[in-house]
Amino acid sequence: METVIEILKGVHPEVDYENETGLIDKRIFDSFDVVNIVGELMDEFDIEITAEHMIPKNFNSAQAIYKLVKTLEEE
Amino acid sequence: MPFISVDFALFVTAVLLLYYIFPKRYRWVVLLIASYVFYGLTGIENFAYILTTTVSAFLGAMLIENKGTEQKKYLEDNKNKLTKEEKKSYKAVIKKKQKLILTVCILLNFGILLYLKYIDWSIAYINLFRLTYMGRIDFIPFKNLLLPLGISFYTFQTMGYLIDIYYGKYEREHNFFRFALFVSFFPQIIQGPISRFGELAGELYKEVDFDFSRIKSGFYRIMWGLFKKLVIADRLAAYVRDAIALRETYKGLYILLAVFFYSMQIYGDFSGGIDVALGVSEMFGIKLAENFNRPFFSKSISEYWQRWHITLGTWFKDYIFYPLSLNKGIIKLGKFVREKGAVQFGKRIPIYIPMLIVWFTTGMWHGSQNRFVVWGLFNFVFIVLGTEFEPLSNKITQELKLNETGVMMKTYRVFKTFWLMSFLRIFDISADVPSAFDTFVLIFRDWGSFNIKFVYENLSLPQEDFIVAVVAIVIMFVFDLIQRRGSVRERIFKLPVIFQWVILSLLITAVSVFGYYGPGYDAASFIYGAF
Repeated sequence: METVIEILKGVHPEVDYENETGLIDKRIFDSFDVVNIVGELMDEFDIEITAEHMIPKNFNSAQAIYKLVKTLEEE
Repeated sequence: MPFISVDFALFVTAVLLLYYIFPKRYRWVVLLIASYVFYGLTGIENFAYILTTTVSAFLGAMLIENKGTEQKKYLEDNKNKLTKEEKKSYKAVIKKKQKLILTVCILLNFGILLYLKYIDWSIAYINLFRLTYMGRIDFIPFKNLLLPLGISFYTFQTMGYLIDIYYGKYEREHNFFRFALFVSFFPQIIQGPISRFGELAGELYKEVDFDFSRIKSGFYRIMWGLFKKLVIADRLAAYVRDAIALRETYKGLYILLAVFFYSMQIYGDFSGGIDVALGVSEMFGIKLAENFNRPFFSKSISEYWQRWHITLGTWFKDYIFYPLSLNKGIIKLGKFVREKGAVQFGKRIPIYIPMLIVWFTTGMWHGSQNRFVVWGLFNFVFIVLGTEFEPLSNKITQELKLNETGVMMKTYRVFKTFWLMSFLRIFDISADVPSAFDTFVLIFRDWGSFNIKFVYENLSLPQEDFIVAVVAIVIMFVFDLIQRRGSVRERIFKLPVIFQWVILSLLITAVSVFGYYGPGYDAASFIYGAF
């Protein structure tokens, strides 16, 4: 989880990732941010994130992103 | 067999009868036979192409699945023997093999499509190169190949299926004949929509009871599609053609009117055809994906492309944009540029490079001429400008204390988007890129010379046709506005039966009486059918 938050802070350091649950819904992240975060995640965790994972639900909070990473790591 | 013809109406009626007479579990067989009969009637030689796609995708999916099964079994058998790293590298080997199968199938199928669509375009350039740099005048002759019906649509749909199987999105279809129906389902073969296996398969193979309300609802939709196609699109076609051809004589407002009418024509033609396809499918109890969502009410170009030809847009998004955008090479390039200090530029690389490729491909998809490529690139530029200037635009709106969500702002944005998209369509109706620019410039000349009489008398749109077209366009927009609050047909079906019949009679009368059957009438062909 710490690594995920570190990656997110690299994009938007001002966000309170522990509590924020509307990263996409509140338009804190734009499409540029999401794609760059995905790139960092794939690089860091050696996972494959594809088009079907690119839904707001998976990127609305640090927790959701962490959950996605864990699921893909186990595949 | 033309899509809009008595023959097609009789064909659909006969298939419907057989469909509902047959036991539920065999109804998909009726659809498969009907689809192949329909396809065969367009030319027996076309079977070779559709069969190649069907067989290769079926085998490809089977091999990909077999590799997946092999992996599962191996990992299970060696659960306690392999380390995490060994499992990972084994999975990578299998993935590589699956990727190879996918690549071969994609190259084969898109290779056929590219060859048929772009061989003459390529020959023209080869000839030009040989003439310019080698002085050779022995030109390679054009092939003049005919594009098999619906090849773009079924190729895209089938390759989408194969990519989804590769990503493990769903299980493959194990029955070859059921799969053949997915590829060839006749109502959507001419101009889409481009369906997804996950959505269409369930619809095609489900066992439905006969329900008259479904037939009625489908019939309403068909009639509405015919209204848009025959009353609006076909009526305006001759004016658009003549006004553009005679643009040096009839400048200014004549061309602006042609640009406006072409937007109406292409919307009526394409969305009307889609209404027919969806209406016919609905009669069989099969729900196809919607392809339009009132696109002319979009407030930006990005939004417009989410509402016009939706199934093609989502296809490009899912199968070209995201795979490229999430490609490690592009992401690394973006990171490299960011680390070199160009943070904002680097951040945009994984979005804008794939977007540029998508728009280039979208342009190529529309036709094997440079004007379509330029049209695609203009779309790209406008979307990028819209995205980059959004913060500035928001700031101006705030400074001027304009109500962002007010009617005025919304109307302004809708108006702006509509005209931008309409102006871009000049590439569609021009012979080449220079004449498209020429046409655009001529719009701004000689506005004072406009005389409606010339529209009636010299430009193939007599007064009565002009009035019918304008009234029909207003009706189309009113219906689109009503649709914002939910299905128009559902509202109609809540009315007393007598009113339902009155509306249907009016629609049938409008199509029969005001459908354009004059010179240039060509109900059989659809603009998008050629893509």
